[in-house]
Amino acid sequence: MASLMPLGPLLRGVIYAAIGFAIGGGISLGITSMTGEPATEPMVVLGYVFAVIGWLMGVGMWKSWGRGWFGKPTDSDPTGNWSRYFRFNTDHKVIGIQYIVALAVVFLLAGVLAMLIRTELADAGQNILTKNGYNTTMSLHGIMMVAVAVAIMMGGFSNYVLPLIIGAEDVAFPRINALSFWVVPPVVVLLLLSPLFGGFDTGWTAYPPLATQTPMGGLLFELAFLTFGISSILGGMNLIATIITQRAPGMTWGRLPIFAWSVLAASVIALTATQWIAYGLLMIIFERIFNMVFFSPPGGNALLYEHVFWFYSHPAVYIMILPAFGAELEVISHFARKPIFAYRWVVWAFALIVTLSFLVWAHHLFTSGMGESLHGPFMILTELISIPTGIVFLSALGTLWRSKLRLKVPLMFALGMVFNFSIGGLTGIFLADVATDIALQDTYFVVAHFHYTIMGGEIFGAFAAGYYWYPKITGRMYSEKLGRIHFGLMFIMYNITFLAMFIPGTVGMNRRVAEYPPEFEFMNLVTSIAAFGLALSFLPWIYNMLNSWIRGPKAPDNPWDAKTLEWQTTSPPPLENFDEFPIVTGDPYGYGDDDVVHAVFGKRSPSGPGHHVAPAEGD
Amino acid sequence: MTAAAIWVLLTIISELFFLQMDIFGDAASKQGEFIDEAFILLMVLAIPIFTLVVTLLGYVVFKFRAKDGDLEDAAPVRTHKKWVGFWLAWTTILCLVVIVHPGYTGLIELRHTNDQEPDLTVNVTGRRWQWIYEYEGRDVSLFSKDDMLVLPNDSLIRFIITAEDQDVVHSFWIPAFRMKIDAVPGLTTSMDVSTTEIGHFNDDVNFRVQCAELCGMDHSLMFTRIEVVEPAEFEQWIADEAA
Amino acid sequence: MSQHVPQYVNHRFSSLDINRLGLWLFLVSDASFFIALLSSRFFVVGTSTPEHVDQVLGLGLTILLLLSSLSAFKAEAAFEHGDIAGAKRMLLATIGMGILFVFGVGYEWHEAFKHFPPSTAFGTVLFTLTGVHVTHVLTGVLTLGFVFFRIRNTTEIGDNQFAVEGAVKWWHFVDVAWVFIYPTLYLLK
Ligand code: HEA
Ligand code: HEA
Ligand code: CUA
Ligand SMILES: [Cu+2]
Repeated sequence: MASLMPLGPLLRGVIYAAIGFAIGGGISLGITSMTGEPATEPMVVLGYVFAVIGWLMGVGMWKSWGRGWFGKPTDSDPTGNWSRYFRFNTDHKVIGIQYIVALAVVFLLAGVLAMLIRTELADAGQNILTKNGYNTTMSLHGIMMVAVAVAIMMGGFSNYVLPLIIGAEDVAFPRINALSFWVVPPVVVLLLLSPLFGGFDTGWTAYPPLATQTPMGGLLFELAFLTFGISSILGGMNLIATIITQRAPGMTWGRLPIFAWSVLAASVIALTATQWIAYGLLMIIFERIFNMVFFSPPGGNALLYEHVFWFYSHPAVYIMILPAFGAELEVISHFARKPIFAYRWVVWAFALIVTLSFLVWAHHLFTSGMGESLHGPFMILTELISIPTGIVFLSALGTLWRSKLRLKVPLMFALGMVFNFSIGGLTGIFLADVATDIALQDTYFVVAHFHYTIMGGEIFGAFAAGYYWYPKITGRMYSEKLGRIHFGLMFIMYNITFLAMFIPGTVGMNRRVAEYPPEFEFMNLVTSIAAFGLALSFLPWIYNMLNSWIRGPKAPDNPWDAKTLEWQTTSPPPLENFDEFPIVTGDPYGYGDDDVVHAVFGKRSPSGPGHHVAPAEGD
Repeated sequence: MTAAAIWVLLTIISELFFLQMDIFGDAASKQGEFIDEAFILLMVLAIPIFTLVVTLLGYVVFKFRAKDGDLEDAAPVRTHKKWVGFWLAWTTILCLVVIVHPGYTGLIELRHTNDQEPDLTVNVTGRRWQWIYEYEGRDVSLFSKDDMLVLPNDSLIRFIITAEDQDVVHSFWIPAFRMKIDAVPGLTTSMDVSTTEIGHFNDDVNFRVQCAELCGMDHSLMFTRIEVVEPAEFEQWIADEAA
Repeated sequence: MSQHVPQYVNHRFSSLDINRLGLWLFLVSDASFFIALLSSRFFVVGTSTPEHVDQVLGLGLTILLLLSSLSAFKAEAAFEHGDIAGAKRMLLATIGMGILFVFGVGYEWHEAFKHFPPSTAFGTVLFTLTGVHVTHVLTGVLTLGFVFFRIRNTTEIGDNQFAVEGAVKWWHFVDVAWVFIYPTLYLLK
C-alpha cells in the first residue's frame, strides 16, 4: 500500500469523479423523469460535467487552489519525488513533462490505430474490421492525432521551454496552467471509452446531421473535443500573458527568441478560434439532448456547422504548425551556428499568417454547396498564405546557407521538416484552387496533403524539439546513434507511405472507406507496407528515450553551446528556473558576432520579493 | 553556381519525368479536361519550387558541414535586403499567376454553362446508402442500387441534387468527370457536366457515382455505375425504360 | 492569482496588472464565443422575429441588467474609496437584480415553450442565446456573491482589490453581451 501512496491524488481524483458523476447524473435523471421519460444522454452530459469537477478537485486542485478561495491555507507543490508528476502541480516544467509524456502515449495509441487502418486497406475488400469498426477506428485515429498535434507544441514544449527561453520563473498563471493539463486525461478517457458505447462514425470533423444521429459514442467524442477546447483556450491565454508580462529585464520584442514569437502567434489563434468549435459542438449536443434544430431540416441549416467547424479547424492547423516553425528555426540557427536569417521578416510573416488564417476557412467547403460567390475570395486568400509561409522557408534556407552545420539529430529532423512541409504546402495549393479541389476534395490526395503538413511538418518539428531539448528536460543525453537510426528509418518510410498515398487520390479513391475498387489495390499495398516500416522506426525512439532517461550519460548544462536562455541554467533547471537572474543585453542569435551578448547574470537578491533590478540597457 | 546547375538539372529531369507520366487517364468531360490541365500546370509550377528546396537542403548538408571538432561559428549574416526582396517578388508573382490561371479561369470554366439550357436534367436524391435518379421530363426514374445510370455523350447534363430531409450529408462525385458537389438535406445544389467521351463502369471504375462525404456504415458502397453512350443510343434506352 | 511572487522578472507588471491582462484575454476569448452564438441566429432563422416574442419583457430585462451594471460600478467605486459597507450594499443590489433577471428569463422560457419550443427553428435560437447568456449571469452572480463573502468582514481594501474589480468587470461583460443579444433576438424585423 505504502508504495502506492504517491498515486493517492490520482486515486482520489477517480473516486471524486465517480461521486461527481453520480451526483450530476442523479440530478439529470431526476429532472428528466419529472418532465417525461428518464433520458440517458442528458444524464451522461451532466454527470460528466460534475465528474470532471470532481476529478480536478481530487487530483489536487482543491488542496492547492480551491481552499485559497475561502481564505484557507493551500498546499504547495511537492518537490523531488516522482509522485509530483501524478498530481496537480503548478511548476511549468512538471506540466510540460506531463503533457509531453501523456501525448507521446496518445500518439503511439493513435499510431496503432493507424496500423489497423492500413491493415484493413492493404487489400480492396473488407478484412479485419467491420464497416462501422473501420469508421470508428479512422475517426478515433484522426481526433487523437489532432489532439496530439494541437497540444504537443503548445501544451508540451511551450510549457516547458517558453518560460525558460524568455528568462521567467514560471508562466503568468501557474494554477490555470495545471488546470489546462488536468482536463486532458478526461478527454483521453472519453475517447477510449467511446468504442464501447457504439463508437462514432463521423470522422474527426463530425458533420451533422450524421453527428446528431450516432450512438452514445458520438456524444462522448463531442464532450471530449469540447473539453479539449477548454484546455486549449486556457493554455493560449496563459502563454500570451506570460510572454507579455514575464520576460526577463532587457528581453525586448526585438530580442525575443523566434520560438516565443511563434508561440505567441499560435496562442492568439488558440484563444479566439477555439471558442467556435466549442460552440459548434455545443450546438450538436443541444440538438441531441434538447431536440434543437440547428442543422437538421426542417428549420436547421446543415452548412452552418461546416462553417463554424472550419472557422476553428482551419486556424487550428496553424496552431499546430506555427510553434513547429519556431522550433525549426531555433534548431537550425543553433546548429548552423548562424543568426536566424531575416528574423524580423519572419515575425511579420507569423503575424500575417495569423491574420490570414481566420479568412480562409471556406476552402474546405468548395464542394459543400455554399454560395458560389464565396469561391473566388476564399481561393485568393488561401493562396496568399503561401507568401508569408514562403518567408519561413527563405529564413530556414538563408540561415543554412554558408553556415557551419553540426549535423546532429535535432537538425536532421528540422531539415526533414523543411523537406516534408514543402511537399505538404505545395499540395495545399492544388486544394486551394477551386477547379482542382472539386476533383480532389475528399480523396486520398487530401489525406496525403495533411499528413505531409501535420506529420511531416509539425510532428517532425516536434521530434526536432524533443531531441533538442531532451538534455535540458531530463538532464541526460540521448544516444546519437539510435537517434540517427530513428531519423533515417522514419524519414524514408514516412515519405514512401505518404507519397504513395497521393496516387490513389488523384486517380479516384475517396477517403474514409474500408472497401474500394480493386484497381487501387497496388498503391494501397505499397502504402500499407511502408506504414509498417514507419511504425518500426518508432521502436528505437521509444527505447532511446526511456533508456537514456534512466541510464544515459549526464548532460552538461549547455550541450549544444547555444545562446538562448534555457541553456544558461542547469539541466534540468531548478524549481524557479535560474539560480542567478538573467538580464538580457542582446539578441539570442549572436553566433560569430562577439559583440552580441544575449544575457548577463546577477545574483538572486536575498531580500526576496520587491527587490528591483535596474532595467537593462535598451529596455 | 554548382547549386544552380544542380537545381536546373533536377528540375528538367523531374519535369520530363512528370510530363511523360500519364497519371489519370482521360477525363470524360469538358470540365474534367480543364481540371486535369490545371492539375498538370500546377504540378509543372510546383516542381521547380520543390527541387529548389531539395537542392538547397542537399547542397548545404554536403557543402557547409562543420568538420568534427571545428567549433567556429559562421559569419553572422542577419539579413539581406535584396534576397528578401527577390524572394518576396517571385513568390508574390507566382501566387498571382496561379490565382488568375488556373484559379480565376477555372471559376469561369466551371460556371459558364450555368445560364445555358441543358440537354438533359437529372434530379438526384441521396439517401443512406444509395442514390435515386429521375430523368426530368422523360418519365424514367432509377430506384435500385444495381441500376446503371445511363448518360448521353456530347451533351450538357445538369444534375439537380439534394438529400432526403431526415437523412445526412452526402456528396455526388463522378470521378470520370472530375466533378463533385454535396447532397445536403434541406438544400438543393446543382452540377453541370459536358460529356465528351463514351465509357462504361466495367472498363473504367471512374465511370461511377461515388458518395464522397462520410455518411455512416455503407458510405463506401454508396455508388452507382455509369454508362455514357451516344445520344441516339441514349434515346433508345430512355424509350425502352419508359415503356 | 499568480502563484509565487516573481522576484526579478519585469517589474513593469505588478500581479494586479497580470491578473487584469488575464481577465481581458479571457473576455476576448469569450466574446468570440458570443460572436459565434449571434451569427447562428442569422444562419438558422435569418432576420425574422415571430410576433409572440414578448417585447415588454425583453425591454424590461435589458433595463434591469443595465441598472445592475450601474450598481456594480458603484460597488467597485465605493470599494476603491475604502467604503466597504457601501460596496457591500451595492454588491447585494447587483446580486439581487441578477437573480431577478434569471427569474425573468425563467418566465420567458415558460412562455416560449408554448409558442416556440426548442424543436422549432426560432425556439432553438432563443433558448440557446438566452440559455448561454443566463449561464453567464449565474456565474456572475456566483462570483459577486463570492466577493461579498470575501469582503464581508474586512475593513480595508487589502488584497481583495482584484477580486472586486474582476468580478465587476465580468459583470459588465455579461451585460454588454446582453446588449448585443437583445436587439439580435427581439428587435429584428
Ligand atoms: C499543419 C497542418 C496544415 C497546414 C500547415 C496546412 C497548410 C495549407 N493547407 Fe491544408 N489541410 C490540413 C492541414 C494543414 N494544411 C488538414 C488537416 C486538412 C484536411 C482536414 C480534413 O478534411 O480532415 C487540410 C485540407 C486542406 C484543404 C481542403 C481540402 C479539401 O478537403 O478539399 C485545402 C484547400 O485549400 C488546404 C490548403 C492548404 C494551403 C494552401 C496551405 C498553406 O498554408 C501552405 C503554404 C505553404 C506553401 C505553399 C509551401 C512553401 C511556400 C513556398 C516555398 C513559397 C512559394 C510557393 C508559392 C508561391 C505557391 N488544406
Ligand atoms: C498528427 C496527425 C497524424 C499523424 C501523425 C498520423 C499518422 C498516420 N496516419 Fe493519419 N490521420 C490524421 C492525422 C494523423 N495521422 C487525421 C486528422 C486523419 C483524418 C481522419 C478523418 O478522416 O476524420 C487521418 C486519417 C488517416 C487515414 C485515412 C483514413 C480514411 O480516410 O479512411 C490513413 C490511411 O492510411 C492514415 C494513416 C496514417 C498512418 C499510416 C500514420 C503513421 O504515421 C502512423 C505511424 C505509426 C505509429 C505512430 C505507431 C507506432 C507504434 C508502435 C511502434 C507500437 C508501440 C506501441 C505502444 C507502446 C502502445 N491516417
Ligand atoms: Cu453517402 Cu457517403
Ligand atoms: Cu484549411
